[in-house]
Amino acid sequence: MEEKFDRGSALTIFPSDRHEDLVALALALIIAALVYFLV
Amino acid sequence: MVYTQRSIWPLVIGVIMVGYAYLVQAGMLAPLIKFLNTGRYVGEMVTLGYAFGGVAVVVGLWQLLAPPKEGHADYYLSTVAGVMFIMLVAFIVKWGLDPLMGKWGSAAAPALGFNFARILNLNYVVMGIIAGIIVVNVFKVPQWAENGVRLSRLGLKTGVILLGALYSFAELQQLGKLSVVMIGVFVLGSVWLVLIIGVRRNLPNSMTGVMSSGIGVCGVSASVAAAPVVQAKSLEIAYTIGTVLLFGVVCMFLFPIIGKMFGMGYVQFGAWAGTGILNSAQVAGAALAFQPGGIETLKVAEIFNITRVLFLPIIVLWLAVWYVRREQAAQRTVQRVNAMQVIVSKFPLFVLGFILMFLLSSTGIFAPARHYQGAYFDNSEKALMRTDRSGKKVDNHLKAEDVATLQKELDKLKREDQKSAVQRLVQNRKIMSEADDAMVRGVINAKAFSKEGTAVLTKAHRAVRHTAAKISKFRSLIAWFFTFGLVGLGMQITMASIRQAGGAPLVLGSIVGVIKAVGSLIVVLLLVAETI
Repeated sequence: MEEKFDRGSALTIFPSDRHEDLVALALALIIAALVYFLV
Repeated sequence: MVYTQRSIWPLVIGVIMVGYAYLVQAGMLAPLIKFLNTGRYVGEMVTLGYAFGGVAVVVGLWQLLAPPKEGHADYYLSTVAGVMFIMLVAFIVKWGLDPLMGKWGSAAAPALGFNFARILNLNYVVMGIIAGIIVVNVFKVPQWAENGVRLSRLGLKTGVILLGALYSFAELQQLGKLSVVMIGVFVLGSVWLVLIIGVRRNLPNSMTGVMSSGIGVCGVSASVAAAPVVQAKSLEIAYTIGTVLLFGVVCMFLFPIIGKMFGMGYVQFGAWAGTGILNSAQVAGAALAFQPGGIETLKVAEIFNITRVLFLPIIVLWLAVWYVRREQAAQRTVQRVNAMQVIVSKFPLFVLGFILMFLLSSTGIFAPARHYQGAYFDNSEKALMRTDRSGKKVDNHLKAEDVATLQKELDKLKREDQKSAVQRLVQNRKIMSEADDAMVRGVINAKAFSKEGTAVLTKAHRAVRHTAAKISKFRSLIAWFFTFGLVGLGMQITMASIRQAGGAPLVLGSIVGVIKAVGSLIVVLLLVAETI
């Protein structure tokens, strides 16, 4: 699978694990805010 | 490179999802839903069907009509098709195959003598992962979905961070103590064991070092974090990751079956899976496979998993010192590596995200700060007046006949504290404090009253215990994030990645992995109580 993508790796679309972690954190905070305001 | 593959399939998937949601909403699938006994999923069938289907239709149309151009928009939007593909598999498995397998298991039980679906633990989590493995290894992931499948790990990480919102201080305090002791013993023990056996078997120090971190801490990310300090080569990292993956896949399917054989509870199984399974994603897979209908096991397992990741800095420092000493003893030159720099740059940040979410939640913004597993005590007049499904106001104070039932049975209580609590309940027609609630629960559990009396007490208890709506929403969202991540994870378990495992590293990893799994099983069965 590795050579199929020129960005990210075989396991992720992000350039590094750190990027992926930061996006996961941002996504989680957005969802938490939505739950807080809408539920 | 252009990532968007022009294909009719994302649009077709979108139409299927929207169509299904519409049919469910219109009640046209009611006989099927009744047959499969999936009535509890109707709400999410409609919401998720419209939400994901709508996005798939819009993006599917856009991809068909607009010629793709290389760039960020092409790169990120091309993932949508893969996400929809994973979700379609997840929907089919959760709302169709899972209940169907349950029915087939029960139907075949008289002929087979056992329920194969139960014995083989064929629930939606296990079948979702298997479906992913079959898709990638037998049919191949469609080209238009390949980029999106690489988002599955993001789904798992987001799920772990959100999970932080579900813990209360009381839970974390109790589970935290247990996890630090167990993880401390088993992580440090298995790192030490790999180092000892690796040296005895004359494996290269770099190979032994990276393997010890992979087997001891948390699989893939620990191997990557330890690699620079032991100067591991790419092939050695690949060997370790292959071993961890192979061992983890086997564990993910075997652990839930063994757990059920031993009649383990949620806390016991969560503690065992979080300690014994090497890879974070596979810990989540095993925990959800053990308890597909709830996330209590997942919560326990993730605390253990996160505690294990928190040990990573200690392991990296230990390996840095161990490697330099071994190489110097062999009179080889060692290139100095700043271990602290490695820790800072490689430490998985999502673990800190989990802690941040827990701290946020403990301020009481999602549920009263004193909640326990999402439930909290509230006996205010407002809380006792509830609205039922038809919109009618219901008064949850005890009725006159309930009070009379309790008065008749009061003398059955021998303990003064329990008697006083029930007396206060009789006088006020509601439970007056959290302490009284605990007393009432004690009377219910002891079955001290008749069936009618116990029913009144249960009613009074339920009137003052409330489940936080926000916590309930978090639970269902988290379950879907993990389902998405695990089906996608299955699609990344290729035979090629597993074939990377082999030779001496596989033998070493398997020996220590089995010792860790069996050792932690024994400790959990002997020492971990289910009552946390």
